[in-house]
Amino acid sequence: MSEGEMVREYNIVITGIGGQGILTAANLLGWAALHAGYKVRVGEVHGMSQRFGSVIAYVRFGEDVYGAMVPEGKADVLLSFEPVEALRYVNYVKKGGLVFSNSRPVPPVQVSMGLASYPSLDEMREIIEGEFGARFMAFDAEKLAVEAGNVITTNVVLIGALTQTPDFPLSAEHVKEVIRVSVPPKAVEANMKAFDLGVKAAKEMLKL
Amino acid sequence: MAKVTDIVLWDKPGERVLLLGNQAIARGAIEGNIAVFAAYPGTPSSEFTDTMALIARKNPGVYMEYSTNEKVAFEAALSAAWSGLRAMTAMKHVGLNVAADTFLSAVGMGVEGGFIIMVADDPSMWSSQNEQDTRVYAKFANVPVLEPSSVQEAKDMVKYGFELSEKFKHFVILRTTTRTSHMRGDVVLGELPDDIRNERRRFGEFKKDPERFVDIPAHARKFHPKILEKIEKIREELNNCPFNWIEGDENAKVGIIAPGLAYAYVKEALAWLGVKNVRVLKLGTPFPVPYGLLEKFLDGLEKVLIVEELEPVVEEQVKTWAYDKGLRIPIHGKDLVPRVYEMTTRRAVTAIAKFLGLETPVDFEEIDRKYEKAAKIVPPRPPSLCPACPHRNTFYAIRRAASLRAIFPSDIGCYTLGVLPPLKTVDTTVAMGGSIGVAHGLSIALNGSVAEKEHKEGKDKKVIVATIGDSTFFHTGLPALANAIYNRSNVVIVVMDNEITAMTGDQPNPGTGETPHGPGKRILIEDVARAMGADYVAVVDPYDIKATENAIREALKVDGVSVVVARQPCALYRIGQMRRRGEKWPIYRVIEEKCTGCKICINAYGCPAIYWDAESKKAKVDPLICWGCGGCAQVCPFGAFEPVDGGEKDE
Repeated sequence: MSEGEMVREYNIVITGIGGQGILTAANLLGWAALHAGYKVRVGEVHGMSQRFGSVIAYVRFGEDVYGAMVPEGKADVLLSFEPVEALRYVNYVKKGGLVFSNSRPVPPVQVSMGLASYPSLDEMREIIEGEFGARFMAFDAEKLAVEAGNVITTNVVLIGALTQTPDFPLSAEHVKEVIRVSVPPKAVEANMKAFDLGVKAAKEMLKL
Repeated sequence: MAKVTDIVLWDKPGERVLLLGNQAIARGAIEGNIAVFAAYPGTPSSEFTDTMALIARKNPGVYMEYSTNEKVAFEAALSAAWSGLRAMTAMKHVGLNVAADTFLSAVGMGVEGGFIIMVADDPSMWSSQNEQDTRVYAKFANVPVLEPSSVQEAKDMVKYGFELSEKFKHFVILRTTTRTSHMRGDVVLGELPDDIRNERRRFGEFKKDPERFVDIPAHARKFHPKILEKIEKIREELNNCPFNWIEGDENAKVGIIAPGLAYAYVKEALAWLGVKNVRVLKLGTPFPVPYGLLEKFLDGLEKVLIVEELEPVVEEQVKTWAYDKGLRIPIHGKDLVPRVYEMTTRRAVTAIAKFLGLETPVDFEEIDRKYEKAAKIVPPRPPSLCPACPHRNTFYAIRRAASLRAIFPSDIGCYTLGVLPPLKTVDTTVAMGGSIGVAHGLSIALNGSVAEKEHKEGKDKKVIVATIGDSTFFHTGLPALANAIYNRSNVVIVVMDNEITAMTGDQPNPGTGETPHGPGKRILIEDVARAMGADYVAVVDPYDIKATENAIREALKVDGVSVVVARQPCALYRIGQMRRRGEKWPIYRVIEEKCTGCKICINAYGCPAIYWDAESKKAKVDPLICWGCGGCAQVCPFGAFEPVDGGEKDE
């Protein structure tokens, strides 16, 4: 458990595409917060929305949390597995909040069919930073996951980055330990490496 | 983090764990000494049912079955409760419509062992066809409703519910919504009873009592007054229910009533607004509202707001009571809280701010205005059929075999997604099993029955091709098929048999033949169709698109009811199993020189693994998404797709 004062409420929104491991990431963060002694709420969507559609999950912890959903304008951090999914849910981020996003786009079928177009990272940045006053940090988390040994660890790269958020209430070591004991033994090495790569990437982006 | 199966069976009272609302209810069921559980899965209730299956596989003290539909499940669990055992059934809100006949007729008979009907509502319809409010049903049937405000309460309410049910020999509903069922929260585990700890399977005793269990009119006439008497006694009892209380400022002049999960939103809203001088009535039992507690709460208040999701169930009870007592203070509810879609903190904050004449802590409308810019450039990403989904191939074959003027009634399941472009092979979806009923009705309305002298044939015949999944076929497709065959419809029914109930999370069904207690008996859909007298029956593998197309063409030639079973295991399930076993699967790639950029694979087939590369003006396959069914290679007229070695590595 991390030292120091307990926070009243900390809000994380996780977005991406069904099948990318969003619920696993939310669950891991939920357990990390639970083991740190917090009240925890994790909001998920199951069923039809999970099938390769846009997905949002919420992780909230603190001494004073009740509902599972983060209201608009209240998320401290948005963690996105896909860039346009960060933009889709930007209204949840508070002014001055952080947006960590995997930078590799997955164009929806509608884009391939020519029924819609996919915005550039610059267009996204303009809205996320210009309109909402949040910091947009897009990086190739998938490449780092491959470097760590398995693309499936992209979610852990992103969690590693998340722990570097200024004022993040859980220590990186604590979160890393929860991941270590949670993943299958043969996947520990890749996940630990993925976590470290995420930490490193965030430190560089945040100039820590 | 331990496995859910371990956690829910942990004999560690006092341990603090993180559980999904639905898993917590399963834990509550065993803490409450459940003996029999029967359900048909339905989002958002399914994980409760699945956790019960995991428990039953590990602990032979609990009987659990995946029933074929909610009515059958209801009757299985109810009969156990008649026999003195504690029993539960579970369903999504619309499942109660299927079970409603038994529910409303048997309520007067009551129970011996505790009986809880878990119903999960889906406000905002995240995975449903309507947003009906189960509390209205409860009022209709005069059955009390327990509604949790947290995951902890979701667990604790089960044991209480069993006790309440036994005390009054009456049904109890445990109502959740999507947000409670699919919320993970911290839970403190309670004690496990000896029967569960010792894995003791309990058997009941049915005491014959025709006046109670045979609802001929002479007996049934005695039920109604008895039900009304019971519900008023229960209302009285609920004044002391541990899930109902008054909190906040005793001297406050304003009050807020918060039933179920709305309590969580109200707590957050009050903290966010920084409001302290209010009194709150937290209600774990939205029906019946305990009037004693209500009277105490209202004492000295000058105005009241009811923050309630969907229908004004609590509001109507409060207003009725206040009117009868001559209390004339403003009682707000649906004038400030929307009646449609789910409750959110934003809604609670906005309603409370308006009620108290305050500003909201953030300007939500300003956020909305800013968001308009994002909304303009964000491409839609609706859910889609998985890569390698056999349903895609079946729909594609149907489109090839039947004219575009054909009518395509469909049903409830993953394949409902066939409504979206590019497949667009779903013209109607109403309710479980509805595809066959609608197909038959359209056949009669547009063509006439084969038995009629005026029956149209040849050119004028309207082609009707219905699609229905295997689980839905067994659920409510069976009586509709019997009807269509008996009344001589002119339709093709394609049963998309992926050998599992996929949409709700891979539950077994009669076509799978597995049960939590060991092998069940497998029922083959083609055998059923033949036995019922279908005029044409064929079984095909949709991974062979041409063969599937040909079978549907043959079926279309037949005057009468044709049944084509398209059988191929659910790709999501199959790949999951392969991953677990460390197996590889083939993946496909585009041979650039052969791709002409015609986009048939994208604009007509639409596999999510195939995308358009705007630079090269060629189709590409995302190797991380491809699950290797090879449908693309069959669809491409230029032979531009080929399998590559490798596939996904073992995790």
